[in-house]
Amino acid sequence: MDRYTGDTGYTSVSAANCLDVHYRPQTGRQPNPFLQRLVCAPYSLDTLSGILSDTLLLRWLGNSLIVASLHTLLVLTLCSLTAYALSKLNVPGGKWIYLLILAGLLIPLEVIAVSQFQVAKNLHLLNTLTVLIVPGAAAPFTVIVLKTFMDAIPDELIESAEIEGAGKFLIFRKLILPISASSMFALGILAFLQSWNSFLWPFLVITDMNKFTLPVGIPTLLSSFTVDYVTPMAVSMLSSLPAMLLFLIFQKKIVKGVAFTGIKG
Amino acid sequence: MPHNRLNLKRRYGYLIYILPFMLVYLVFTLWPILYGFYMSLHKWGITGPISFVGLHNYQYLLKDEMFWSSLGHSSLFVFISTPLMVVLALGTALLCNLGTRWKTFFRTGFFLPTVLSVTVVSYLGTYIFNPSIGLVNTLLRYVHVLPQGSNIDWLGNTPTAWLAITLVTLWWTVGTNMLLFLAALQDIPDSLYEAAALDGATPLQRFIYVTLPQLRSIMGVIIMLQIIASYKIFPQIYYMTKGGPNNTTKPIIQYIYEQGFMNDRLGYSVSMSVPLFIILLALALIQLRLRGRSEGGIQ
Repeated sequence: MDRYTGDTGYTSVSAANCLDVHYRPQTGRQPNPFLQRLVCAPYSLDTLSGILSDTLLLRWLGNSLIVASLHTLLVLTLCSLTAYALSKLNVPGGKWIYLLILAGLLIPLEVIAVSQFQVAKNLHLLNTLTVLIVPGAAAPFTVIVLKTFMDAIPDELIESAEIEGAGKFLIFRKLILPISASSMFALGILAFLQSWNSFLWPFLVITDMNKFTLPVGIPTLLSSFTVDYVTPMAVSMLSSLPAMLLFLIFQKKIVKGVAFTGIKG
Repeated sequence: MPHNRLNLKRRYGYLIYILPFMLVYLVFTLWPILYGFYMSLHKWGITGPISFVGLHNYQYLLKDEMFWSSLGHSSLFVFISTPLMVVLALGTALLCNLGTRWKTFFRTGFFLPTVLSVTVVSYLGTYIFNPSIGLVNTLLRYVHVLPQGSNIDWLGNTPTAWLAITLVTLWWTVGTNMLLFLAALQDIPDSLYEAAALDGATPLQRFIYVTLPQLRSIMGVIIMLQIIASYKIFPQIYYMTKGGPNNTTKPIIQYIYEQGFMNDRLGYSVSMSVPLFIILLALALIQLRLRGRSEGGIQ
């Protein structure tokens, strides 16, 4: 990691660095050293390109994107189908199934992580991306919020569609899904962020560096004891960028989504 | 025959919608819970023979000082962080609700850290609280609170390490609670404030007699969610202090992880999740009770 230090040291524009190195008692009017350094620093992209070529960061970024996207897709598919069935199809024992799902909401996954690990091991799923995508896909929270939402869709609407000859699945696809789109979107963003930031589970089930996601991979590149601050800063920035962009683009919808789900769930 | 198939589809068609979810749910959530109890009755390594030991793991648990102290540390964190988290979330939500043109800026600023990965947050934490080059000590030296050349080893002493961990977690996660408060604040009908203003209530009185009572139910929910979330603390501590100095910041989840995966005692580590499970379940049930009551009150 030492190769990233040296002349490129000023690429990290951190307040601590600048204060530490450049604060001196000033006599008379002189240009502000902080600003001067900020403007004239020898900026370069060497560190970034070095990190990209020498580490697996891009690979982890790719893994994170694949895992979080597929996870989100799976959550939305499984949960919306189930919510639809529980809300609009007269499922025998539906009330009991709903209670069983509600019970899952009370169980923090951190507490059963060890036995989940053993189950994943028995199924030979350790060190696969599947084990990061599938287990959390049956999300009780998402089902409950979606069911609450679908309960509010009037049955008359569905009956009139049935009279026109639409089947159950067509009604789901052409009627229920478009109406639920906004809450699906919000829940999808939350599922994406949750998977993106998930730490404990990937930490337990993945040991192959090529299969790491960002939260598990980053610490292997960071060390708080080296004199090199640039690499860790660049790593942190690169890895935070996609989630930040996602947030900034969809800010309004996320805020609405959290507010919506927060009150119902 | 076609008639029969149609009948079959009508009777069991719903299964197509529910089965995929229930399959994943059974295999990865419900089964691990039962399996965990079963595992806790065994001497169970990641590799090697598995043998039935009955309640031995639980007996050992009762005498294991490290278990009790790490459970204590997690509880301590819950105790410090929850009030701070709730008060700060309410404060920031009020700030965002003022209706100034800074509203979006505040909301983005307070919420943005929650999208950061925990490892990035922890790294920034170790960097900010680093004794020699960290931001905190540098600032303290800059304003001459700290003499030049001297250091405070924030992460190397127990009380300050807890302070640092709490502050970092606060900064990272306060956004979610803030949004919940913000949503509730925006649900308070304007007519209540207008009526209070007509009666000559000062802004402070309006806050105490209108806003706070209206926030009571969401406040209960947030407190409970926060307690449960704080009990699950692990990665920040793992990367900022590794549980040190002298294991005085080691949380229960870290101890479970260490016993299971580093000491190869999965059976014992699962038995530790049982008391934690009971604590969290009890809290969740209290939350449900409270919420049920407050919703009943509105209707």
